[in-house]
Amino acid sequence: MSLAIETEKLTKTYGRKARGIEDVDLAVEEGEVFGFLGPNGAGKTTTVRTLLGFLRPTGGRGEVFGLDIGKESVEIRARVGNLPGEFALEDKMTGEGLLKYFARLRGVGDLSYAHELSERLGAELHRPMRRLSRGNKQKIGLVQAMFHRPPLLMLDEPTGGLDPLVQEEFLDIIEEVRAEGRTVFFSSHNLAEVERVCDRVGIIRGGRLAAVETTETLIDKSFRHVALTFAEDVDKEPFEALSGVRDLKGDGKRISFTLYDDLDEMVKLAASHKLVNMEYERPSLEEVFLTYYERENGEER
Amino acid sequence: MSVVMNRGEKGRHAARRTPGGTLFALVSHTVRMQFRSVIIWGAALGLYGAAMVASFTAIEGSAAQLNQLMEAYPKGMLEAFGVTDLGDPANYLHSQVFGLAPLALSFFPILALANAIAGAEERGTIDVLLGNPLPRWQLVAGNFLAVAVSLLGTCALVGLLTWGTAVLTGVELSLREVAEAVLNLWPVCLVFGALALLCSALFHRRGLAIAIPAFLLFGMYLIDTIGRASEDLEDWRPVSVFYYYGSAIENGIDWTHFGSITLVALGLSLLAALVFKQRDIYT
Repeated sequence: MSLAIETEKLTKTYGRKARGIEDVDLAVEEGEVFGFLGPNGAGKTTTVRTLLGFLRPTGGRGEVFGLDIGKESVEIRARVGNLPGEFALEDKMTGEGLLKYFARLRGVGDLSYAHELSERLGAELHRPMRRLSRGNKQKIGLVQAMFHRPPLLMLDEPTGGLDPLVQEEFLDIIEEVRAEGRTVFFSSHNLAEVERVCDRVGIIRGGRLAAVETTETLIDKSFRHVALTFAEDVDKEPFEALSGVRDLKGDGKRISFTLYDDLDEMVKLAASHKLVNMEYERPSLEEVFLTYYERENGEER
Repeated sequence: MSVVMNRGEKGRHAARRTPGGTLFALVSHTVRMQFRSVIIWGAALGLYGAAMVASFTAIEGSAAQLNQLMEAYPKGMLEAFGVTDLGDPANYLHSQVFGLAPLALSFFPILALANAIAGAEERGTIDVLLGNPLPRWQLVAGNFLAVAVSLLGTCALVGLLTWGTAVLTGVELSLREVAEAVLNLWPVCLVFGALALLCSALFHRRGLAIAIPAFLLFGMYLIDTIGRASEDLEDWRPVSVFYYYGSAIENGIDWTHFGSITLVALGLSLLAALVFKQRDIYT
């Protein structure tokens, strides 16, 4: 399968103090939904902006659909729909005006897909941007990235500011994009969202690409928050002694802890008492990162 | 609509406009967005010009006494402000309107072109716009062209209001004289706009892109104005754009100067495009 994005030791530094990205080797296949994950300031936006030619790389090389990011940036941008993480839209313009303008810049004559997307996401196209909420601006940002059906979508935190129903609709659209064989490069802090739509994920930290995993592997590497409620008081020590149990709290009928290991032993131990309720929570992506990196650094708990 | 298709395979092809098409789309959009500014600037300066034409009818009858009074003023001061004969409507309008107009009107291109790059970076709109297949040089050239067109529209409005008032009040001022006076504003104001564009490309700070051309605008005006009155500064006058500005309402446009100033503006814009091509885009 050919590559939509390929970088080799891609580096961008901003001077001595400010961090950018260093030696990033990335390979995103055509037709896949690739999640690009990392804490704030890790280098996600720098990577995307360097790929689009907004920032000049200080080292390494990169290609999008085989086009050089330094020399063929305009050709690349003709093939990419971009939603920046932090963006603003011209206050005086309406969404409709913006889409018509961008359609002229791209040579797109038919705005029917733009209108379909706007309707599905509930974007308000006829009010000036200055009167729109953050969520509504985000919807217009999404529509302008997608309306020309680009072969590659680069979306930085696409669901920020969207309500759950619209997030759901957006994820449906991403699945349709994948079904059409187009590529999505997607950064998000929302693990559930990543789990649902991404085929693979790349994890960046401190400007370096720490790993590229399939989504299942990333989830497997994470832990769970567990809270158990029993019919009568139980001794917490056997639970504390289980492999992978950390930060155990509580006493008497209710105990809670973080489980880093297999849940089989824990379930069997819990089942030896009269269990009233069991809460088993997925951690936040930020928490997964911390665990993941501690493991990577050989600090397995 | 002209469209080119690029290299094959699924993700490797994309339809997009020809470079001329994107430039035209950018210029026409920017001119439309500047329409309100054109009206505001044109109306403000045009109404001032109209008021000065109307005031001429009041002083016309006593022009001889006024000129006599002016003789009491230092000669250098009168030369500095271009006052030769207040009974002549063309000289009156040069000294009261067109001699000073570039100081105000230059702020239209300065503000517009400081916004084009640095302003868009500060507002955070540049990433969305350049997400389109728009070459950086076109962002520079397109904004420069759009401002050049809008500025021409502003000058035309100033001219129409000034000349219209002259016709209504019976002041002897031909359309040609007024047209040359307002057209002569165009390259001078455009030079300071192009300077703002260069600063916008260099510093990615909108404040600096406004302050530097504004400082040079007033500095050059003072050098030229004081240079006319003071021998000490006379040798410095050629470094000022105002030295080449003259009085088109009285003497017609000096096309050599007009062309040279326009070339300087084009040169500054070209420099802006080269600088902007090399640097990172900040948000």
